[in-house]
Amino acid sequence: MTDSRGAFGRVARRPETGSFLGLIITYAFFALFGGQVFITAPGWSSWLNAAAEVGIVALPVGLLMIAGLLDISVGAVLPASSLTVAIISGHYDLPLPLGIAGGLAIGLAVGWINGLLVTRTTIPSLIITIGTMFGVMGLTLGLTILIAGSTGVFIVPDVVTKSIFGSAINNMFQVVIFWWAGFVAAVFFLLHLSPWGNWVFALGGDRDSARNAGIPTDRVTIQLYMLSGFAAAFVGVTQVITFGSAQVAAGSSFIFNSIMCVVIGGVLLTGGAGSVVGIVLGTITFAIVNQGIFFTRLDPNIGSIIIGALLLIAVLTNDGFRKLALSASTKKA
Amino acid sequence: MTHTKRMTVALMSAAILTAAGSAAVAQDGANIFVIGGKPDDPFWSIVKRGAEDAGKVVEAQGGSVTWLGPQNYDNLGVDAAELIRQAIDQGAEAIVAPDWVPEAMDPAFQAVKDAGIPFIVYNAGGIEAADRLGAMNYVGAVDYKAGLAGGDYLAKAGSKSGVCINSLPGAANIEAYCQGFVDGMTQGGGTAEVLPLPATAEGNVTAVAQAIKAYLLQHPEVDSVFTTANLDAVGTVQGIAQAGKADSVGVCGVNFDEAILSQIQSGAQACAIDQQGYQQGFYAVSILNGYVNYGLSIPTREILTGPGVVDATNIEATMAGAQQGTR
Repeated sequence: MTDSRGAFGRVARRPETGSFLGLIITYAFFALFGGQVFITAPGWSSWLNAAAEVGIVALPVGLLMIAGLLDISVGAVLPASSLTVAIISGHYDLPLPLGIAGGLAIGLAVGWINGLLVTRTTIPSLIITIGTMFGVMGLTLGLTILIAGSTGVFIVPDVVTKSIFGSAINNMFQVVIFWWAGFVAAVFFLLHLSPWGNWVFALGGDRDSARNAGIPTDRVTIQLYMLSGFAAAFVGVTQVITFGSAQVAAGSSFIFNSIMCVVIGGVLLTGGAGSVVGIVLGTITFAIVNQGIFFTRLDPNIGSIIIGALLLIAVLTNDGFRKLALSASTKKA
Repeated sequence: MTHTKRMTVALMSAAILTAAGSAAVAQDGANIFVIGGKPDDPFWSIVKRGAEDAGKVVEAQGGSVTWLGPQNYDNLGVDAAELIRQAIDQGAEAIVAPDWVPEAMDPAFQAVKDAGIPFIVYNAGGIEAADRLGAMNYVGAVDYKAGLAGGDYLAKAGSKSGVCINSLPGAANIEAYCQGFVDGMTQGGGTAEVLPLPATAEGNVTAVAQAIKAYLLQHPEVDSVFTTANLDAVGTVQGIAQAGKADSVGVCGVNFDEAILSQIQSGAQACAIDQQGYQQGFYAVSILNGYVNYGLSIPTREILTGPGVVDATNIEATMAGAQQGTR
């Protein structure tokens, strides 16, 4: 099979095409059943705000999955970071930049521990990060109660910090959307333009061969985990500054949500394949499905069924396109 | 019950009888045991404060108040039942305890009854539990009535159409709050719906805010929101603002924390419904103290400590109470 199929064939075989089609179908579905508001600015802001937060976490989780690893601890890092900010700058009234630095440092530290444990042991990363998740959760709960005497800590951010991390443009589009765009650009550069990205793909392909080829696999793994810890902590920072309230029992939904975004975006659960564009498309699809439900006149009690069904359809579409892409390349080989 | 256990119970009852006998001679007051949550739990520290404040009178009359709480909530029903048995063992002359998990705790309450110790069910279980177990009374709030009060408040404030945010579909207490809210709104001449949030929104305040924003945009007639969790109330106020409806949509919610009190103070939230934990500890201990010492009784069945409404009219006093650990 050669170039006879032309441009259409090449586009159809791109791994992102399935994700993109899934996104279009999802948007069309809710544009049809969601009414006028869904396709106007308030409707867009609604799913963009939701997409931005999970999107920031999904990017490094996607990189990890490309490298054949998982990070469950993001669900615990997020509230840990929120509470660190609230305790340092709310409870102790220290300068907010210090609180933010503390929150982000927690993310980097947990990521470093995850990376170290994954590289120094033979325990699967799923189990290690479940372990660190519970560890961080327990520490967050215990220390928060010890220090603040309550499971919720509060903070009134200054105007400048609030406008950087927690404001909403036109009182609608949260500023975190722009931070997401920044993360996308940075991670796109890292994965697709810098040599470091090739190492990540190699890691997911075959870790031993990657090491034999001279790739510093341990260092890359630790860096990947520190990136995901940082991203989760960053979302925690934006949440506490946006809402002024940090609660111990937050963040757990980010675990499955980020993995779902990545998988809808066409990243192989087994590692070795995926793209930043795919992860972004998957995140948007996921957010549209979640927010779209509220715009329809469907019974919200069955909302979860629709979310589940649409996600399965999106993944099936991806799989179809991946098979198409793989069959094409196999024949070429 | 095994033979050994039965023996232990018999011995314990004997020990308590002796203790009570000597107590009468020594003219000392009531030794009251209170079973509650972890002392460092923000809600339970308030209940404990109420019990301790009532304990000042108990101590002045020669008695004592002892707080027994579990180390954690991993095995709540069994642990709390064990604490009730501990209270019997330690010679309690009156016991206050919540009926959190009837299946696990009712046998322990039965042991209290069999030992002839007067007791009050508080905080959880309702008057049904008190009647079933033979307790003197129930002191506490009723979830349904908290929702009802919220619906009533918002309907009286002029709301015609409300929505109750259920961020934990399936949890019995949340369902009761929402059902109460719907009934309260309906009785006030309005209508109300329940909006269950999908599991993908759990513990994510942004998801709650965006869900409410979307719902309000799609349902322009809705002019009030009722929340059942602290973080939901904070998310709700943001969602309403993002929908551009800060002036037209009223918010009321169950429970409060510092962030919610400042929302009420600034006018962003109309009211919070409180079960007033301080009253639960205070009145349960006071009633038993009067009974054990002087044979006093409170003939009112079902002492309701909630719903208490926090709104603009009492926000200053409530904030002062929060500072001092009584609210």
